[in-house]
Amino acid sequence: MEAASITETASAPPPARKVGDVLNAYALPLLLFGALVAQFIYDPTGTLENTKTGLSNGMVWALIALGYTLVYGIVELINFAHGEVFMIGAFVSLSLWQTFGVTDSTSLALIIVSIVVFLACAMTASATLNVLIERAAYRPLRNAPKLAPLITAIGMSFILQNVGLLWRPTPDQVPDLIGSHAVYFTIFKVDVLHSDVFAVIITVPLLMGLLWFVGSTKHGKAMRATAQDPDAARLMGINVDRTISLTFLLGGMMAGAAGLIYSLYNLTVRFNMGFTAGLIAFTAAVMGGIGNLKGAVIGGLIIGVIQAISDGGNFLGLQLGEAWTPAVVFGILILVMVFRPQGLFGEETREG
Amino acid sequence: MAASGCLLAALSFGVAACGSDDNDSGGSTGSSTSASSSGGSNVTIYSSLPLQGDSRPQSVSVVNGEKLALEKAGGKAGSYTINYKSLDDATAAAGKWDPGATSGDARKAAQDKSTIAYLGEFNSGATAISLPILNEAGILQVSPSNTAVGLTRSQGADKGEPDKYYPSGKRTYGRVVPADHIQAAAQVTYQKDNGCTKLFILNDKEVYGKGIADQVVPLAKAQGITVLGNQGIDPKAANYRALAGTIKGSGADCIFFGGITQNNAVQLWKDLNAALPSAKLFGPDGVAESAFSSKIGSKAEKQTFITNPTLDPKLYPQSGQDFFKEYKAKYGADPEPYAIYGYEAMSVVLQAIQNAGDKGNDRQAVIDAFYKIKDRQSVLGTYSIDENGDTTLSDYGGNKIEGGKLVFDKVIKAKTTS
Repeated sequence: MEAASITETASAPPPARKVGDVLNAYALPLLLFGALVAQFIYDPTGTLENTKTGLSNGMVWALIALGYTLVYGIVELINFAHGEVFMIGAFVSLSLWQTFGVTDSTSLALIIVSIVVFLACAMTASATLNVLIERAAYRPLRNAPKLAPLITAIGMSFILQNVGLLWRPTPDQVPDLIGSHAVYFTIFKVDVLHSDVFAVIITVPLLMGLLWFVGSTKHGKAMRATAQDPDAARLMGINVDRTISLTFLLGGMMAGAAGLIYSLYNLTVRFNMGFTAGLIAFTAAVMGGIGNLKGAVIGGLIIGVIQAISDGGNFLGLQLGEAWTPAVVFGILILVMVFRPQGLFGEETREG
Repeated sequence: MAASGCLLAALSFGVAACGSDDNDSGGSTGSSTSASSSGGSNVTIYSSLPLQGDSRPQSVSVVNGEKLALEKAGGKAGSYTINYKSLDDATAAAGKWDPGATSGDARKAAQDKSTIAYLGEFNSGATAISLPILNEAGILQVSPSNTAVGLTRSQGADKGEPDKYYPSGKRTYGRVVPADHIQAAAQVTYQKDNGCTKLFILNDKEVYGKGIADQVVPLAKAQGITVLGNQGIDPKAANYRALAGTIKGSGADCIFFGGITQNNAVQLWKDLNAALPSAKLFGPDGVAESAFSSKIGSKAEKQTFITNPTLDPKLYPQSGQDFFKEYKAKYGADPEPYAIYGYEAMSVVLQAIQNAGDKGNDRQAVIDAFYKIKDRQSVLGTYSIDENGDTTLSDYGGNKIEGGKLVFDKVIKAKTTS
């Protein structure tokens, strides 16, 4: 499979591949898939259950990871404030539900309308915030050494965490509008919950829409051109600053959507949720190949499944569990980095 | 363990280094050190509690309790005027107590020549960090809420505890709340009373959370309850759905979480409630606060049982009942569960200073006076401080949650083996 990337040019022919390259590219994904199959044989129902949970969790990670990978692809900046932009999206959606008095006893039609409208609001709020951050904190440092915007990003992360702390100092309950834990259907003895279905039906169109936008529209082409060579893009008449703002806008939209999905999925939000989510999503982006959109999505799903299987506690007789999950996830990330530094699906970033 | 040992050693050396420039505060091993050499008859009591994140309501309530006790004493103990300084051992980034902030608070108190006592920390894991620093400086530390056994006793504690917390070789620490060897016994009694037969234990991997979880295991087994597991959780996980599925598969009818609210207990409860709506969920005093009880939701409330040292106000002596009334009159709201322990921590320290007489500004004399507290008539009832620094009080309260609030269920007379 050829992974789409933000820097992929429309007409460039794919480079010829040697057998060794192919093995190098597919060995680790195959190894991970083999481990999943072995676990399935060892514990079929448990593995299916955990894979289902992992995929629905992974949808959220994928949405957030897209923001990291978009921004890195175009300005080579790890936007460490992105997790907090996601948190603000979750807070905005909860505030709207509270303001308009939407609860689980509200009529179904109004709940659906509120989810659609507030999804748009959360996406708009997070996108606006992300653009403002770019304008105020990153653009002035565009030509500074790379360490400067990186530190600035960490600073923005802390500032936004404190905004979240002032806004909602304690964990808050989210109204259970979708019957989050209710069983929607059962397949192969695995209960698929409302929240699992919800995560898929909201996330998949957003992912597809973003991939289409970047891959098929004029603005998407401008983004890819800017990512590949900003100077050449500027010479070709592309407004690079505006294109970079557009990238932050899209990343922020995905984070805002992820915030709303996360809140309805987990039913709890807290001011420091963005830090952990951001770290996991960043890991997903790196695992998939940072700068690579499809890689970020698949990386998010892979991390979700790894987390769920580790959380489940018994991997091929090895007693893991919640306490080991961060070590397992980052252990696998280290393996990926050692054997395939460009990520599972190839890193596509600006040259030279 | 090695890393934590290094940390403790480094912290101890740090204080010793500070003390080398300051004969009054550090470097001593608790010998007679005057706390008022620069301040005449003024001495300072520091409080260090997590004042950020969802610990804040509980901590503010404890601080209010401490202030109320000092106010009732007229701001004095014996002939000494008390300066009270409230510090914060939490950070916004952590959303709970933080090792750096905790050691910073302890150093601040250790380096202040007028310091006579330190009230804190709230969390046992935090005290594991602040205690060696304050011990090295010879300052009395009294916690209103620490329950981890290893801070004072070797029985049931980890290797090297409690000696590793006392680099000076002398005891300088005490607490007014019954420790977890009693709470664990109360927990198991409460579980048994509620018909538990198969118990799955979770913990948040902190000194306190893992400590009480480890204490519950043998006691539950001794009571005939099958313990299906004792597993640490990732406090930063987005959710615990897979873990809840595993517990459901284990056939557990009861789950006990050793940990604190700030380690994602609300999310854990929601996911456990969803996967095991008929199981009984037990929590210790680490979740006995409004930040937990008001957030878990009405569905999970019905299956939740919490142990907490605070009893029904009616069960306290008159002075204790007065505390609840005075607190509400002054602050306009009912106190959080640990406020009365804040009040008592301050009160017992004031008594120690008073009992030290002319040496009420002498750190070692005040420590000695604290350890001599016997049959103290307090808001909590009559108690003494034993040679470990522990209170002789032992009653625990069983609580349920109704309408987002802790509701006292019954007194649990815990039976311990020691």
